Amino acid sequence: MSTNTLLIEIGTEELPPKALTKLATAFYHSICEQLNAASLSYSEAKWFASPRRLAVMVTALEQQQADKSVEKRGPAVNVAFDADGNATKAAQGWARSNGITVEQADRLTTDKGEWLLHKAIKPGQAVADLVPAMVRIALTKLPIPKPMRWGDSRIQFIRPVHTITMMFGADVIAGEILGVQSNNLLKGHRFHHQGDVVLDHADNYAEVLKQAYVIADFASRRQTIVDDVNAAAQAMNATALLDDELLDEVAGINEWPSVLVGSFDQGFLHVPAEPLIYSMKDHQKYFPAVDRNGQLLAKFIFVTNIESKDPQQIIHGNEKVIRPRLADAEFFFKTDKKQTLKSRLVSLDNVLFQKQLGTLKAKSERIADLSKHVAETLGADANNAYRAGLLSKTDLMTDMVLEFPQVQGTMGKYYAENDGEVSAVAQALEDQYRPRFSGDTLPEGVIGSSVAIADKVDTLVGIFGINQAPKGDKDPFALRRAAIGLIRIIIEKQLNLDITDLLAVSIASYGTKLINNNTAEDVIDFIMGRFRAYYQEQGISVDVIQAVLANKPTAPLDFDQRVKAVTHFRSLDEAQALAAANKRVGNILAKFDGELFNEFNLELASEPAELALAQAYSALNSELTPLFANKDYQQALTKLASLRAPVDEFFDNVMVMADDEAVKTNRLTLLSQLRASFFNVADISLLQ
Amino acid sequence: MGIISAIFFSNSKTVFMSTFDIKTFQGLIFKLQEYWAQQGCVIIQPLDLEVGAGTFHPMTFLRSIGPEPMSSAYVQPCRRPTDGRYGENPNRLQHYYQFQVVLKPSPINIQELYLNSLKELGIDPLVHDIRFVEDNWESPTLGAWGLGWEIWLNGMEISQFTYFQQVGGLECAPVTGEITYGLERLAMYIQNVDSIYDLVWTDGPLGKVLYGDVFHQNEVEQSAYNFEHANVEALFTQFDVCESESAKLIELGLALPAYEQVMKASHAFNLLDARHAISVTERQRYILRVRTLAKACAQAYYDKRQALGFPMCKTNKVEDK
Repeated sequence: MSTNTLLIEIGTEELPPKALTKLATAFYHSICEQLNAASLSYSEAKWFASPRRLAVMVTALEQQQADKSVEKRGPAVNVAFDADGNATKAAQGWARSNGITVEQADRLTTDKGEWLLHKAIKPGQAVADLVPAMVRIALTKLPIPKPMRWGDSRIQFIRPVHTITMMFGADVIAGEILGVQSNNLLKGHRFHHQGDVVLDHADNYAEVLKQAYVIADFASRRQTIVDDVNAAAQAMNATALLDDELLDEVAGINEWPSVLVGSFDQGFLHVPAEPLIYSMKDHQKYFPAVDRNGQLLAKFIFVTNIESKDPQQIIHGNEKVIRPRLADAEFFFKTDKKQTLKSRLVSLDNVLFQKQLGTLKAKSERIADLSKHVAETLGADANNAYRAGLLSKTDLMTDMVLEFPQVQGTMGKYYAENDGEVSAVAQALEDQYRPRFSGDTLPEGVIGSSVAIADKVDTLVGIFGINQAPKGDKDPFALRRAAIGLIRIIIEKQLNLDITDLLAVSIASYGTKLINNNTAEDVIDFIMGRFRAYYQEQGISVDVIQAVLANKPTAPLDFDQRVKAVTHFRSLDEAQALAAANKRVGNILAKFDGELFNEFNLELASEPAELALAQAYSALNSELTPLFANKDYQQALTKLASLRAPVDEFFDNVMVMADDEAVKTNRLTLLSQLRASFFNVADISLLQ
Repeated sequence: MGIISAIFFSNSKTVFMSTFDIKTFQGLIFKLQEYWAQQGCVIIQPLDLEVGAGTFHPMTFLRSIGPEPMSSAYVQPCRRPTDGRYGENPNRLQHYYQFQVVLKPSPINIQELYLNSLKELGIDPLVHDIRFVEDNWESPTLGAWGLGWEIWLNGMEISQFTYFQQVGGLECAPVTGEITYGLERLAMYIQNVDSIYDLVWTDGPLGKVLYGDVFHQNEVEQSAYNFEHANVEALFTQFDVCESESAKLIELGLALPAYEQVMKASHAFNLLDARHAISVTERQRYILRVRTLAKACAQAYYDKRQALGFPMCKTNKVEDK
């Protein structure tokens, strides 16, 4: 079978850089899936993406599908012919639809009867005939955030489409895609290349584009940027602050990247680094640079899309753009400091947290009270916690944060220091938003933890309290992130807190504002769901998490200890048998509608295995009591594991459902107590 | 200025070598007008009402509704009362100029047409870094949105480029392509000055006139008006009157005057905003009120054009070439 390279490129106007790789890989996956489904083999598939193109290349692709034999079963023979042996209408219709006569049909005989059968060879189709439809399907499946129309066409795509290039080897695959007829022409760099780029062979795609000043491969273009930015930093004895998201974006807005370095006035370095960095990165897509000590330098590294005839003009232009932005930051920093954070509290009364839940001032006051309660519970300085909670949102009213929202909290810290607040309070203002994203650092101090916890609980309670729980993808108040953050802080900072207690205080602080009578239960259930996500991410098996969830432990540290204990128990030899036994006990008890005894009655016991289990359990029980009291779940479960042999003996030799009602109830009482002991830790019956 | 450009383009068929000095603010405007006239645009004059952006001009807002083609270009003075800085900030003005180009339907080479206009202004794309940076546009007051880019020149935003998808709540079919040049920014770049007020407006036989000579006092006094003296009570009343007038005119099927009332209401709202007279909660409600009117005007305009049989669709544009 002959093979060749397939190349498909969609040439467009500048695509959204943040969605670029997602779009390109979705396109690539869909093409691969469809080739696989069509039984066309190939050696390798690769995607390309640049601002003006999405492409897929498939090497050593079979030119044609193999012929396929197909068998189609027709009507049963007894239906296919009438009493006279003439073909019925049904049989004739079936034959016609297969392009044969009834006489030409084969027969299929099984033990269930005999049917008409049509055996045919379905000829394989050529790649050139299959590809256009595959491309159309792949394009309809792209995750386009907002499709658009252009001109007077009804066609929708990410951005207007200019070229469609589909080649198999040296041949153009003809087809119309998104209103454009395919050919072998590409667009080169917008400025460095004039006219069309002729693609003579699919293999040469990347090469001809390179000649036309386009690095089509996203990964290598990104790597070029990383290398050149690092080299530029090194040349000035500095380190560039590279971040993946920004690199992806910059790689998504350049086809021929070229790295330059600009500078700004040293004087701006008196402003805290965060807003300066934010200005450079988010507004201008520059890479800031730091010296060996991590101090920001008055330099920025940036990437242009051309090899300029006069790079100095580009540098000069960019310096001119960043100057007023940094001057703004400097001005805000200077003027913001003239007013204390405390004095800004009153202005928060004009800012809504949520329509039904009131202003940010009211929220600040609730956070202050709850932070104080948390700090008291943890034995930390309650006054500092209250103060930090009260000031927590005041930096939102500063010009700096209004202009650069990403530096909220951080600016709060700087301004609090400037106001002479104690350092624990200042640090807490920055800590309150932590963790801001998956894998982010936790609050540094205990006051910061208190405020971070209070803020998150307040938001969870408020939003659930007005029945606006997240639905599907819609989570406008980022409650999932808040709940995960809450769990992480409490567990990873080893804080002895119970969610139920926090919710009670928070709910009370809302007064009559909450309309959901089940707020506490709903928030607990929501948090339980986050526990599942939190532990799954850590590789804890789902059955362990479910066993613990059955118990709904509302103190995260307690939850954590149970997870560890059950994980350990699950690794023991006895685990499987005891899990099965617990399940069996559960099933039996579920069917029993009588009343159990308070205690197992030895005098009613007759079977040796029954007595043995009762004695073993009773002996163990005195050891278990202090273990449960100390929440030493692991030790408790290990002890309980020793009951495996007597439990097995019991089920092998004792008839639980005895005829004598008292004997039966007595046995069920023993089993129920046993199960309750396990359930003190978790529902072991859920272990797989 | 309007008169001068009218004279220049009274005979648009004549191809002449322009002698505009793009190093002056007015030369830059002339050059852009000439270029877009050559592309076939109707060169319109500014709207004589206070608006926040060139998009409000009926040539953009109303003409982008319905099937009728229309391409135009015009300078539009824009007023953004909250941006006033009493003439003290070199980069911010409460009154400034946009050069607006609307092409309907958007031609497939619209990006090239735009880039060629920059070349006409002497900007060499192999020297300067010109970039299309994703920027999707949405106007909550106009019930409009579109997709497009900011155009960066060496990192500075000099234009906005939008493919309108919806205007006044109505789907745009065909799509209008909108290009908005920030004239002061572009001029500051071309003239290499750091303050708007240092821009050379003209440098002719009667001497040199700067942007500051023309507008500095205006910025100082208008800032004082916007922030300190605008009569809040009167503005609230004005907003209400404009709203009811607009609603009444829509009932009468008079889309164009109804839409003028929307623009007036919108400007009253902007002034109230500058006076901090509208709380955060109220703000959203006012925006919604303007949007409701804008949508009704859009619908009324569409209905009227439909009743007229969409006359612009019947114009044979090739005929006179």
